[in-house]
Amino acid sequence: MEKTPEKKGTAVTKPFDVVALVTTKLRTYTDDKELILPENYSIENALKSAWLVLQETVDRDKRPVLQVCSQASIANALLDMAVQGLNPGKDQCYFIAYGQKLVCQRSYFGTMAVAERVAGASDIWAEVVYEGDKFEYAISHNRKTVTKHEQELENIKPGAIVAAYCVIEFSTSKPSFTEIMTIEQIKKAWAKSKTDTDSPTSVHSQFPEEMAKRTVTNRACKAIINSSSDSNLFLEHFNRSDEEQTGIELEAGIKENANQGIIDVGLDDEEIVEGQLVGTEDPKSPKPSRNPAGLKTVEAMLKACFDDFGLQPKQVLAELGVSGQTEIKESPADCYTRVAAVMAGPKKGPGEEPGF
Amino acid sequence: MEIKVLASGSSGNAYFVSDGKTPLLLEAGISFRLIRQGLNFEVSRLAGCLISHEHQDHARAAHEVMRAGIDCYMSRGTAEVLKLQGHRLHIIEALAQFRIGTWAIKPFQVHHGAAEPLGFLMANQFHEKLLFATDTAYIPHRFEGLTHLMVEANYSLPLLRDNTPSSELRQSILQDHMSLETLVGMLRANDLSKVEEIHLLHLSGSNSDADMFKRKVQEITGKPVYVGGKHG
Repeated sequence: MEKTPEKKGTAVTKPFDVVALVTTKLRTYTDDKELILPENYSIENALKSAWLVLQETVDRDKRPVLQVCSQASIANALLDMAVQGLNPGKDQCYFIAYGQKLVCQRSYFGTMAVAERVAGASDIWAEVVYEGDKFEYAISHNRKTVTKHEQELENIKPGAIVAAYCVIEFSTSKPSFTEIMTIEQIKKAWAKSKTDTDSPTSVHSQFPEEMAKRTVTNRACKAIINSSSDSNLFLEHFNRSDEEQTGIELEAGIKENANQGIIDVGLDDEEIVEGQLVGTEDPKSPKPSRNPAGLKTVEAMLKACFDDFGLQPKQVLAELGVSGQTEIKESPADCYTRVAAVMAGPKKGPGEEPGF
Repeated sequence: MEIKVLASGSSGNAYFVSDGKTPLLLEAGISFRLIRQGLNFEVSRLAGCLISHEHQDHARAAHEVMRAGIDCYMSRGTAEVLKLQGHRLHIIEALAQFRIGTWAIKPFQVHHGAAEPLGFLMANQFHEKLLFATDTAYIPHRFEGLTHLMVEANYSLPLLRDNTPSSELRQSILQDHMSLETLVGMLRANDLSKVEEIHLLHLSGSNSDADMFKRKVQEITGKPVYVGGKHG
């Protein structure tokens, strides 16, 4: 994940500076024969086409990426695109902004296009194996070959996928390449995706066959591309976009989700019976009357409000007149007392003790 | 608190933790034979065993531990993948506190490519508080009054880049394990004033450097640091 140093806040004002920079860099690569671009690939046309796409691309807050992202990251993304010979106009890649960083993400079509060009693939096809299919394969010399796949129409049910495989055939005499993934392996790959693939509205739930084929095709193409290309420069850019995205997503995930709200554990409310195994709390047991002073953390206070009044954390925050946990100024005990007073009903005067 | 590392790392994990009254096994990711050996053949004294997730290096011997009459605690997702059932199995949920003897335990969700992985925050009556978190890209929560830390320090970014040639493997490590750099961020985000010892767990064979990790964490925290059970 080597990168050009980032300059914070340097929004791109002169587009053609970046394009010129990337063109020069690519020319040095091709002149030194470090990089061989596809014959029909014009650097200038691809960059112009990318620039048109970039002008329309916005980040997740709907701000134009050309204003938000650093010049260095835009140049790196364009370089990734061009070294892989991708064309954003043909949906072979798209650009995503993570904060100030722009990343060129290769699409499924892009990966197949690279497999055809770099690895000489002439045909790439994938099939899904369902429960009840007759499916056999052989392994010899570290190479899998599907020897039999018979399917009855009634086997085809989206919920009954057991595996998917992809076969890549080559224009040369090179033997075909087969990748097989079980549904567990496929789901594991989906679990890495940032989108919630389990949600019933997700494309993975609605079109599992299509997505399973794409997953196994991606893996097959990556395998043959990595074993076919002898250009380190190309492979570095080919693998970088995936890895860079993983790294950036992780960084963003850590920034947003790591070391957040305090949680605590304690023996306060419970008496320990020595030597006796005490099981989980019985939800049906009567609630002990609560002493708000025992609530040491915001999290404990929120849980107490849920247990005692059935309020969701959001509702508690609304009662307290704040939009997030970090805005709470009062102690957890005071917060609980205030919510309890509200929940006790309007008949109680503000000075009265809330009834527990 | 007594902490004994029976095994730590991708080939297997098992840790013995006791407050003097209630001895527990955290993870059962080595053979049952080795667990028995590590516990001086006193497995039956264990009050329970906590399993963070279903991967073999954490749960290999779960079935046998249960068969030996030890109560095992894990998430529903973990139990389902391991196909465990029976009266020795206790299903626990993130943020729902439960008790084993003199321990109060609050599991919390962690970030790892498994069905329903958990970390554990544990307190005992001697005012000791232990954080156990391994196999997670980061720790989502902060904690108060920790006295003992058992946390993963799997890899360091520069070593990962240099020593793991496969891009796919690198990505999977990034997503599933905690780096020294992330651990440092975690240590800085928490109040460590009461911490007595820090145990670094699950160091990667090729992407870590035990001496450097120990030195770094000691520098930041000023606390005694143990790597995978070694006091060196």
